Amino acid sequence: MTRFGRTVLPAEQRVALRKAIRWEIFTIGYTTATIIAVAFVVGNSQAMRTAWIEDMLSLIPQIAFLAALLFVRRSPSRAHPYGLHRAMGVGHLVAGVALLAVGANLAVEAVTGLIAAEHPTIGTVRVFGQTVWLGWLMVGVMALIVIGPFFYGHAKSKLAPVLHNKLLYADADMAKADWQTNAASIVGVLGVGLGVWWLDGAAALFISLGIIWDGVRNTRAAVSDLMDRRGRTYDDRHPHPLIAQTNRYLRSLRWVDRSAVRVRDQGQVFHVEAFVVPRWGRVTTRQLDDASAGIVRLDWKMQDVVVVPVDRLPEEADPAT
Amino acid sequence: MAAGERTGQSGTMRTPHASASQRLAMGALLAATLVATGCGVQIPADPDGTLDRVTGGELRVGAAVEPGLVEVEGGEPSGPLVDLVEDFADSVDAEPEWTIASEETLVTELEEGRLDLAVGGFTDQSPWIDRAGVTRGYPGIPGAEGRSLVLLVPLGENAMLTELETFLDEEVGS
Repeated sequence: MTRFGRTVLPAEQRVALRKAIRWEIFTIGYTTATIIAVAFVVGNSQAMRTAWIEDMLSLIPQIAFLAALLFVRRSPSRAHPYGLHRAMGVGHLVAGVALLAVGANLAVEAVTGLIAAEHPTIGTVRVFGQTVWLGWLMVGVMALIVIGPFFYGHAKSKLAPVLHNKLLYADADMAKADWQTNAASIVGVLGVGLGVWWLDGAAALFISLGIIWDGVRNTRAAVSDLMDRRGRTYDDRHPHPLIAQTNRYLRSLRWVDRSAVRVRDQGQVFHVEAFVVPRWGRVTTRQLDDASAGIVRLDWKMQDVVVVPVDRLPEEADPAT
Repeated sequence: MAAGERTGQSGTMRTPHASASQRLAMGALLAATLVATGCGVQIPADPDGTLDRVTGGELRVGAAVEPGLVEVEGGEPSGPLVDLVEDFADSVDAEPEWTIASEETLVTELEEGRLDLAVGGFTDQSPWIDRAGVTRGYPGIPGAEGRSLVLLVPLGENAMLTELETFLDEEVGS
């Protein structure tokens, strides 16, 4: 895959994208293996059940990312004049809402279990002719599968900024926090082992609150971008520096008196509307075309650029500072 | 948070999260240490101390009549399941004290802490799984006739359950 919409990707992004796809496929394989492993030991522990469902939920961002890639590569057409870049945001929203809904459900389950004082019953299993308490196997499995997310979490968090992909960034962020789930479920199970029955429900509640928090963060970020918030960095921390850069470029043109830009994030690429007040009130179509091409050259993300000559700059657009 | 991380600024935001889970991790470590040093902690333990109370004392057993497994003649229960329970009681030095009642009554008494163990025609398809601790299924119990029989203990009494399952594994296989 070498293009996003009308943009042919630069070499750095092409490499990063190929790596990201590989890591996402690896993650799906790894997570599937952990889901199967946990299925054998999940037992009656609410904490284990919650961690297990979280594992299943954690597949959604990867599937959404890979599915969205099939759409965003398409060039803009009459039917979709802005391209299909929003697919990434839609995937992000779906992942966020799923986390939120299931997380809330699991939190309610944990709380009702605690209120009803349900004592989790964890018996034994036969392993190679020995009778072993299932709790030990739960602890073993959870301690073993904690390793994977460290690797793919860090790998993906390095790729997300290169690709300016917020879904990938959120995915990496959740993977890096995944060890907390494993630690909590181990504490819950060992708590049951020591006869502290409520530690299981408390651990389940802790895990489900983490899921809810992930859901809130992702839903909020996805909705903001879908509602055309001003373009921000991949981690949503700052207004994107390309906004100021675009204004600087426009100011460097001799025929431009003042400028302001509106930049929205379509998911990996930007849609840019640049308003310019021409010096002496005159501008040629050639100058407008050149300015637009100049902005596109600033960065591969500058995908869809229009330069509009105006008398007065719109107030909501980012002015040159 | 590693210094070389690209997302360096996010460190401040995640700190409260990390410290909560670090406390959890510490707890896990502490628990593991307790186990490793073997300072008299039994795992799994019973929240309500059933096994401790039963050992060397009285085992309150409830039985539901089931032809070929639990029969009652003159108020005295007999049958393969009854024999099995008496052997289990022996193994923990306990004296069984029998109550005969319907399945539902037995389960309710388990919940209310008036019984330590319940037997009858319970199988691994038992609908009581939410209200009682259920052992693994044992098709090897005499008189089971193809059924995978289970025994019931109070919910969450995991030491009791583990002791019982360990006994059953040795007596009737799994």
